[in-house]
Amino acid sequence: MQSNAQLEYDYSIVKAFTFATILFGIIGMLVGVILSFQLAFPELNNLAGEYGTFGRLRPLHTNGVAFGFTLSGIFATWYYVGQRTLKMSLNESKFLMTVAKLHFGLYFITILLAVVTFLMGFTTSKEYAELEWPLDLLVVVWWVLWGVAMFGMIGMRRERTIYVAIWYYMSSFLAIAMLYLFNNMEVPTFLWSGDAPSSLMHSVSMYAGSNDASVQWWYGHNAVAFVFTAPIIGMIYYFLPKESGQNIFSYKLSLLSFWGLMFVYLWAGGHHLLYSTVPDWMQTMGSTMSVVLILPSWGSAINMLLTMKGEWQQLQTSPLIKFMILASTFYMLSTIEGPIQAIKSVNAIAHFTDWIPGHVHDGVLGWVGFMTMASLFHMAPRMFKREIYSKSLMETQFWLQTVGIVFYFTSMWIAGITQGMMWRAYDEYGSLLYSFIDTVEVLHPYYTIRAVGGLFYLVGFFIFAYNIYKTATAGRVLDKEPANASPMAS
Amino acid sequence: MKKMVIGGIILIVALMAGTYFVAGDAFQSDDYINTLTMIGALAIIAITIFTVLKYVNQIKNDTASGELVDENWDGIGEYTNAIPSGWGIIFIGTIIWMFWYFFVGYPTNQFSQIGQYNEEVLENNAKFKSVWENPTDETLKAMGESVFLVQCAPCHGVDAEGINGKAQNLTHRMSKEQVLSVIQNGQQKLGYPMGAMPPMMAQGADAEAIATYIAGGMKGEAPVAFAACASCHGADGKGMNGMSPNIAEYDEKLVTKVLEHGKKGVIGTMPSFKGRLNPTQEKAVASFLTSIKAGE
Amino acid sequence: MFHWLEQKPFFFAVVLFLTVAFAGFVTIVPDFAKQSQPTVGTKPYTVLELAGRQVYIKDSCNACHSQLIRPFKSETDRYGMYSLSGEYAYDRPFLWGSKRAGPDLMRVGNYRTTDWHENHMMNPSDVVPGTVMPKYPHQFTNMADLATAYANANTQKELFGVPYDTDGMPKLGSWAEAEAQAKEDAKLIASDMKNQSVKDAVANGQVPEIVALIAYLNSLK
Ligand code: HEC
Ligand code: HEC
Ligand code: HEC
Ligand code: HEM
Ligand code: HEM
Ligand SMILES: [Ca+2]
Ligand SMILES: [Ca+2]
Ligand SMILES: [Cu+2]
Repeated sequence: MQSNAQLEYDYSIVKAFTFATILFGIIGMLVGVILSFQLAFPELNNLAGEYGTFGRLRPLHTNGVAFGFTLSGIFATWYYVGQRTLKMSLNESKFLMTVAKLHFGLYFITILLAVVTFLMGFTTSKEYAELEWPLDLLVVVWWVLWGVAMFGMIGMRRERTIYVAIWYYMSSFLAIAMLYLFNNMEVPTFLWSGDAPSSLMHSVSMYAGSNDASVQWWYGHNAVAFVFTAPIIGMIYYFLPKESGQNIFSYKLSLLSFWGLMFVYLWAGGHHLLYSTVPDWMQTMGSTMSVVLILPSWGSAINMLLTMKGEWQQLQTSPLIKFMILASTFYMLSTIEGPIQAIKSVNAIAHFTDWIPGHVHDGVLGWVGFMTMASLFHMAPRMFKREIYSKSLMETQFWLQTVGIVFYFTSMWIAGITQGMMWRAYDEYGSLLYSFIDTVEVLHPYYTIRAVGGLFYLVGFFIFAYNIYKTATAGRVLDKEPANASPMAS
Repeated sequence: MKKMVIGGIILIVALMAGTYFVAGDAFQSDDYINTLTMIGALAIIAITIFTVLKYVNQIKNDTASGELVDENWDGIGEYTNAIPSGWGIIFIGTIIWMFWYFFVGYPTNQFSQIGQYNEEVLENNAKFKSVWENPTDETLKAMGESVFLVQCAPCHGVDAEGINGKAQNLTHRMSKEQVLSVIQNGQQKLGYPMGAMPPMMAQGADAEAIATYIAGGMKGEAPVAFAACASCHGADGKGMNGMSPNIAEYDEKLVTKVLEHGKKGVIGTMPSFKGRLNPTQEKAVASFLTSIKAGE
Repeated sequence: MFHWLEQKPFFFAVVLFLTVAFAGFVTIVPDFAKQSQPTVGTKPYTVLELAGRQVYIKDSCNACHSQLIRPFKSETDRYGMYSLSGEYAYDRPFLWGSKRAGPDLMRVGNYRTTDWHENHMMNPSDVVPGTVMPKYPHQFTNMADLATAYANANTQKELFGVPYDTDGMPKLGSWAEAEAQAKEDAKLIASDMKNQSVKDAVANGQVPEIVALIAYLNSLK
């Protein structure tokens, strides 16, 4: 391998996606906070006519944070980690540079269009695949562009062996491509409208009923796997050792966790369909495979924790390391919570309750959110060539958001279990003990606590955005790229 | 480290106690699903905390070491350390368990969720058999109230007063408007032996007088024109032993007829509850409804 | 060790893709045909019901309401008979939902009625104090999209072989016929309603969203 001391990485695309991460993070989480206040105070549904109701806003939140915030973070870090661990620069290839720019542009337009169309009520209703067909087509185009950029960059690499982080980004690209295509098989109805003046936007699913559900949750579960899990593991595999200056604890553990995760994940989607009308064997498969899934999931987290062996003082002094270690912990929490909720008898209670959104946000706030923000924090001094603006703001943000997550997760945990048990409760005469509305009213305090927790997290995110903005514009200029620990003004 | 372990235990206990405290009213220990869920919840938080603490301990007290692989990516190296043996063993363990579950424990050609449901229903029915077989009046009334609150209150309101005229006010037999409408239009829905109620049995002032009389609870002197009604409903309005509806007050017969056939009237439509309640429960709602009128 | 594979990234990608791809086929394909068989008595939606279903989707009622009754006594007591696969044979997309902020609606047509829905959708807390369900007054003024509903039904008929226009099944016919029929159906619903502007609209040959939505909700049995 030739020496590349001189290699100038090109961060223009990284910066663009960083901006998108922050913008869509703010939109998505703001809507999340509104949703949670709406469940506590329903009058808030009618502030903006039909456009502000819970149902209209919910897909805006889920898509905004998954495909706006998280995906931008994934793309930003991909173009950063990819260049650096492959030892190539985007500016070495005009072609790849163009592809990457197109990737960003089309992606950005799509998400903006998504916001508009969701508010107008264009949705196919399938969770995490709500976009109507014209937007699906756009998604396919920029997904392919990402793939071209990815494999183009890999093709140009100077590092013979591809690093673990890259494996995970590759898995995300390949799996989502397959999942998205199959789950979004839908026919625009105007094509068969007779002479009726049909809407151009509307489509109908190629699958019906139980089949539609099977495909949807094969997709939905693995969208979680390959948006909220795999690429985030990719991030931590780069940013934690890089920031801490430690070597990865075990290559063998990386290897087994990766292939284990890839193999097992796809079988577990049936846990979203327990006690539904899909065949028993499919449900059993989903349930048992979920339990097996604990181990490959925990493998990566353990590998990260052990990478920090002997480095307690870093954990005490660097908020960036704190973010990442707590992220691993929340990852472990949600990847044992999920499998236990996937046990049929537990799912009998957990399914349809708030315990599920509780589980979701352990993962997305604690793991996805923290890792994404930590990654941007690490990249900022390198791409802006400036010191991080404020360490104390980082500390404030860390504690505010951690408390926010704890509020979210404890309140929804209690709410969900309570609600699940109330639905099943019988009185001494053998009739149902609670009417449905009893089980709604009991949740009010927990909805309120969750909303406050969510607000904390959002405020933390604003602090984060401000800190990054100040770093880019007013941080002390660095004359040399820091090797490991990111410099931050206190 | 000690402080962290204690903190962890406090968190676990607080979370479990909080859940138990809030879910307490609904927690029924003879429902094994509840018990399993609580155990699952405990496992989630306990296993996570103790595993993480184990590794935090290593972060604090251990040092990193091992042989490095040849590669180095942007300054990141990798040790070739062996996998943690506990992790490996449990991984293999869960895989074995999975095969066991799928092929031996609950082989999928033998387990069926519908079979499980049938068992649940049988068990449940057996459990409440004694209550349902010879219910006392008190039991019936209490059971009726609980059924009412779950099944009927969404329309009739928790106080049975019909939510500002959106459904029948069940504490009071009929309003003048309703009687007038029946007189004018007749009615045929409830399936009484007498069959249909013909329209236009009375008109104008007569109809007014009859309606006022019935809506007023049939107190005092009956208007002359009521004779036309009495031929079917009886002079006391009680429906001649179930041949036609009791228009003086709610009785069991009327309630069960309404539950069976539903009812469409001036206020709106009441759906039929046929098959949704068991016979004891139907009797129970009737007994509850007749009792709230009495307490008026 | 395994670095040989990690040095051949394109081959690595192929192996990776195969690893993730085959599970889906093994789990979904075997019962695909079986699951698409309708239960005896299940009928496709009429155009008016489909228009209502589109309203249900547009306002994402599925964000709060499931349509899947699980085989537990506590659910069958509350909502009615547990769901069967074949009952969903004409549901494109399926609307099982994944969260019950509100009750299940799979069989709500059995125990709620037109006038109740009318009151409830206008202002849920009038009917059920303490509810968290939003008000939907805009459904009383927005008009349902019958044309798209017709296109929806026609696509299902032509492309997926959904048995419209066959014995004992809803009639679809041409767009003009279907539109006329849907407006007839709407009159039936409106006659059980109280809102004067809705009644007037229907009398004038228009179909407000609420009418279509109620037709759909009533069809859920
Ligand atoms: C030919 C027999 C007959 C005569 C005469 C008759 N009724 Fe009826 N009435 C019935 C029957 C049968 C029903 C039940 C109809 C049904 O199935 O819904 C009924 C129902 C009613 C109801 C509705 C009760 C409810 O809760 O739904 C009212 C009110 C009523 N009658 C009042 C009158 C009055 C007032 C008159 C006289 C002006 C009258 N009826 C004369 C047979 C009669
Ligand atoms: C979807 C709404 C709804 C539900 C649920 C409902 N009702 Fe009703 N019910 C009505 C309406 C509307 C009327 C008035 C019909 C009319 O206009 O006469 C009514 C009328 C009645 C009447 C009076 C009939 C008469 O002739 O005076 C009885 C008795 C009754 N309901 C009992 C029940 C019981 C018991 C339940 C529950 C097991 C129940 N209802 C559930 C809507 C409902
Ligand atoms: C924010 C959550 C939420 C949304 C969104 C929502 N609902 Fe509800 N819904 C509820 C709650 C809570 C209840 C139970 C209390 C009540 O009846 O209002 C309910 C009850 C109902 C019921 C009565 C079912 C029964 O068994 O009592 C119907 C029908 C219904 N909703 C239809 C709809 C439709 C149609 C939409 C969309 C246009 C919708 N809901 C949107 C929360 C919601
Ligand atoms: C071992 C890993 C995991 C398993 C086995 C698992 C299992 C489950 C189960 C059983 C459900 C509930 C299904 C239901 O009853 O409705 C669920 C829901 C969900 N989980 Fe996980 N989970 C895991 C990890 C994660 C992680 C790490 C995240 C995110 C970072 C996550 C995100 C979600 C989401 C978004 C849902 C909601 C799906 C819906 O909309 O219904 N899961 N998971
Ligand atoms: C400010 C922080 C946030 C708040 C207050 C918040 C709030 C909410 C609320 C209220 C819901 C609806 C739950 C329900 O239907 O009952 C929800 C759903 C969801 N949110 Fe968030 N959210 C936040 C951040 C995030 C982030 C950062 C992500 C992802 C990266 C995310 C992903 C999701 C997902 C996947 C769902 C769907 C869950 C399901 O269907 O079970 N949220 N959120
Ligand atoms: Ca789509
Ligand atoms: Ca969901
Ligand atoms: Cu899943």
